[in-house]
Amino acid sequence: MSEAEVSGTFEIINRLGLHARAASRLVQVASQFPCQVTVRRDEQVANAKSVMGVLLLCGAKGARVTVVADGENAQEAVLAIGQLISDKFGEQD
Amino acid sequence: MGTDGTMTDNGEVVDRTVSLDGIGGSAGFAIGRALVVDAGRAGVVHRRITPDEAEQEVVRFDRAVALATAELEKVAGRVKEEKGRAAAESSILDAYIYMLSDPTLREDVEREVNSGQKCAEWALETAVGVMCKQLRQTDDPYLAERSHDFEFVRDRLLRTLSGRNQAELIPESDEPVILVAQDLSPAETASLTKDKVLALVTAVGTRTSHTAILARALEIPAVVGVQGLLQHIGDGDTLVVDGVHGKVVVSPSQYVLDILQPKAEKYYAVARDLREHRHDPCQTSDGVAVHLMANIELVIEAEIAKNHGARGIGLYRTEFLYIDRQTPPTEEEQYAAYRLVVEAMGPLPVTLRTFDIGGDKFVSAIKMPRDMNPALGLRAVRLGLERPELLKTQLRAMVRASAHGKVRIMIPMIASLSEVRAVRALLSESVMEVDRAGHPHAQEIELGCMVEVPSAAIMAEELAREADFLSIGTNDLVQYTLAVDRTSQELARLASYFDPAVVRLIKAVIQAATFRKRSFSVCGAMASDPLAAVLLVGMGMRNLSMEASAIPEVKAALSRVSLQEAEDAAGMAFEATTANELESGLRRRFGALLRDILDPV
Repeated sequence: MSEAEVSGTFEIINRLGLHARAASRLVQVASQFPCQVTVRRDEQVANAKSVMGVLLLCGAKGARVTVVADGENAQEAVLAIGQLISDKFGEQD
Repeated sequence: MGTDGTMTDNGEVVDRTVSLDGIGGSAGFAIGRALVVDAGRAGVVHRRITPDEAEQEVVRFDRAVALATAELEKVAGRVKEEKGRAAAESSILDAYIYMLSDPTLREDVEREVNSGQKCAEWALETAVGVMCKQLRQTDDPYLAERSHDFEFVRDRLLRTLSGRNQAELIPESDEPVILVAQDLSPAETASLTKDKVLALVTAVGTRTSHTAILARALEIPAVVGVQGLLQHIGDGDTLVVDGVHGKVVVSPSQYVLDILQPKAEKYYAVARDLREHRHDPCQTSDGVAVHLMANIELVIEAEIAKNHGARGIGLYRTEFLYIDRQTPPTEEEQYAAYRLVVEAMGPLPVTLRTFDIGGDKFVSAIKMPRDMNPALGLRAVRLGLERPELLKTQLRAMVRASAHGKVRIMIPMIASLSEVRAVRALLSESVMEVDRAGHPHAQEIELGCMVEVPSAAIMAEELAREADFLSIGTNDLVQYTLAVDRTSQELARLASYFDPAVVRLIKAVIQAATFRKRSFSVCGAMASDPLAAVLLVGMGMRNLSMEASAIPEVKAALSRVSLQEAEDAAGMAFEATTANELESGLRRRFGALLRDILDPV
């Protein structure tokens, strides 16, 4: 179990990007972990446990986002979110 | 405005009756008292706070979040219980509940309170304002649209903060009211129930706005798009709402009320009776079956169609998917929409019409030449054949939707056989592309055409040889046959589907399709007119597609007329020489029998 800050950069590959449903899924996954999780796109940083924040990132398909987790289970949180993004949030395409 | 406005200060009696025009959003008729709902948008408190008040303001905000969440959860629970069928409504509410306690929102509000020295209301207004501006700046129309959700959450919280907690919108245990508002969000509309709300009146909206659609689903009469509404109506004013004609009468005199009250009661009696028979099969008094289907524009309307007893979708106007956006919808988006409709209706058939863009419907996503005469210009199938990639994207989505139920594809504005052939070729290519992409689809998909241009009616037999079905679009057939612009107010009285020229063309189409053993239907406004429906059945028509809300009336009208009577009427129609002669002849014959349906108010 890691305690340090962990980060990972992922490309949004689902067609619709970080839209409402994808944003909600991301928040649901992030909220399962006790650590602090943020998502960054360019200069913008959002709390990964906030649907409004994630929506405001306006992450379209092709955007690169960096997930940073700090605290308990940080490693697992980044991996889970990275997995979700590469699974296209469970969307068909 | 008060409730005793018929008397001035010096005791003089004046008639304050004001009549307002809007758009009939949901059919029905109601008389009652107005409840004006301002969603907390007017006059947000802007109070500069001292630093030691900051903590208290944040606590106020947190409390408002908790209260608003509890209220909305109550509404969501009730909506789910009452209308489990309409899952769309409750999932909107769930999303709002989630957003109320959003940590980003709280952080931003807290920052505004602390560093901006703003009271909770002001801080909230500022925070959401910044977010919405950010969303609207994106070039993604979908995301820009989400700003309305943020605003809904803001308004809900503002209302709670102000102590005017109207999460229920209407005070409990009051007499039912007529709700008057600048605008209602989908969630607000969905939370209304018929026993509390007699009718809705809003200043914004169109027939296809969410308020109107949900009002129809909830069977609450509604008039939308009433300009200057809030200047004319005050709390407690007596209102007469006519959702059929889109009229609102404010503070009618006793004289007017005495006339309208019995009419309203009669309307309710008829409406109740029609509702009770909504799922009965449609047949003439001597048992000849007629299929009544629905015309829809939005996915959500499929539910409404089913609830009104539609036996399928006779016309899905897909151009709505292209409106209000920068780029045309992708195959995937269209497939998702078509699939929802097909699944909602299953196993009943769904007729998907390819886009009818141009004419009087322009969309920003598609660049069009400026025709002198758009109705005669690059429109509908002509545009599709000019831009085959656009049409093929749509056809592929339709082909894929066929894997989920009975799909038929219909081409609008066919003027010649060569267009049918060209579209059939594109359809074959689309099927192959869908195959190559590995998507499932039905083996046979019927391809039919709309008959709405006189040349198509004249060539109906040749068309019927190659098309799998024909559907007569009466609105355009009237426009092109009589050379009357369908959008012209001045010429509206000339645009009658009772015109003998139109009736004869319809007869020719029926004969041609019958000869070629093809199915045929009518999907224009004519089908929803009970009197015209009787005429059409007499002419041999057995498939009518109309606005869902007209189905119960048409069904009731047909059930009172025998096939022989309808055929006699049709015989008479062919002798008529003018529209007026034909219509008044039909009224003479069936007026008494159908009076309660033809003139409910």
